[in-house]
Amino acid sequence: MMPRVTVQVRDSAGHSATAVADYALSQPVLGGYYLSGGADPTADMAGGNFRSLTQYRSFADGYIFPGYNRPWLINLGKAGVQMNMVLELKHYGAANTGPQSFRVDVTDYTVPAPSMTIQQRPGTTWPKAYGYGQVLKGQCDGLLHRALAQYRLLGFGVNIQLASELDTDHEFGTTEDGKAYTWAESDARAVQAMNYILVWFKARTLPPGTTFSIGSGGFDRACFQRTHPESLMSRLDFLQWNAYGTSASHTALSRFRRTKDWAVADLGPVALSRPVIIAEWGVRSAEIPNQPGWIASVPAAIAQLNAERGPRIVRTNYFNSGWGTLSPKAAGLAALRTAYATRPYV
Amino acid sequence: MAIPIATAALSASVYAPGDQMLLTVTYSDADTKPLTVTIVVTDAQGNSSAPVKVTAVIDPLTVTVSDDSGRTWTRVSDNGARAEYRAVA
Repeated sequence: MMPRVTVQVRDSAGHSATAVADYALSQPVLGGYYLSGGADPTADMAGGNFRSLTQYRSFADGYIFPGYNRPWLINLGKAGVQMNMVLELKHYGAANTGPQSFRVDVTDYTVPAPSMTIQQRPGTTWPKAYGYGQVLKGQCDGLLHRALAQYRLLGFGVNIQLASELDTDHEFGTTEDGKAYTWAESDARAVQAMNYILVWFKARTLPPGTTFSIGSGGFDRACFQRTHPESLMSRLDFLQWNAYGTSASHTALSRFRRTKDWAVADLGPVALSRPVIIAEWGVRSAEIPNQPGWIASVPAAIAQLNAERGPRIVRTNYFNSGWGTLSPKAAGLAALRTAYATRPYV
Repeated sequence: MAIPIATAALSASVYAPGDQMLLTVTYSDADTKPLTVTIVVTDAQGNSSAPVKVTAVIDPLTVTVSDDSGRTWTRVSDNGARAEYRAVA
């Protein structure tokens, strides 16, 4: 039940008028974490108000839930840490990138080799990914089924974030089966493939508490709009973007605000009714040497954004890797603990 | 006697614990009229005092605010047509 304020106005003869206003109380924002390499973050989180965690898995991997050699994920999940599991069509490339044959329950599957390349930045090796066309042809159903079978044994519900950052994946176009697609074409194909995967999962029994989102870095306004049509948002529970401070001029407020402002301006009512998961946030020490100082400014920034109109940020997971690497780690982690002990995290 | 009218508006629909909440009440009643009475005292010799003005309100309205979650709302301003109340989420 929402709390209700009742106002009564009465005159001397006893005539009165009544007006009511309902309101809701939000839960504290969940402070979260990610540790480089998907390593065990238990020690870093111990004793701090860490209530959320991001993890990355490739659909190509035979061990998605909880992941290969990751019993700690089950312990954290059972202790109430909210998991944001990023499941990617991207092949991480470590092992065999050929076709796979495997059995799930009583069904035998052969999934062809990934046929798409993404993140086609000039001068780099382009990663392989299962193609959006492959997904739509049902060729990846075995991967979905394998992930689902493992998920059902996990013991708790998670948020499944499809893709890490579609904008990063598509920024330089994609190629599937030798055919090149522009950034915008790739976005449109991804929306169809994401929709296919969502429909596939939602047609099956899922653990209680299962939610879904799709992944965006959130650095490109047009891409964010293209990848968040209302038809797709109706199947998603959260908006998601990432926020990094990578320049001396970047304030926490400006970085967390950027994608929110685009969302409020460009997206429809269904999208804007969804709360926001910040799957990754971080501050790059090369440009912002006072990493603890920047981290300390985050609670007030999140509180301010959540006091404004538009979707509320409900989880923020610090990315202690890459751009966000805490250096020195002890000082950064101490700042993170202090931040997560501050409103709106408590 | 007329029936009063009232509206109630909150500064947000969702609050985080500890947030300041602001309630704006607007109210009126067709009978509620401010008026000014001007008094001049005159004695038997015809000497008059300087005029004195007093104001009064006909059929004043009383506003009460209650919250079913038990929060206390404190009035911070009231000009007879618009009142503001504050509480902590």
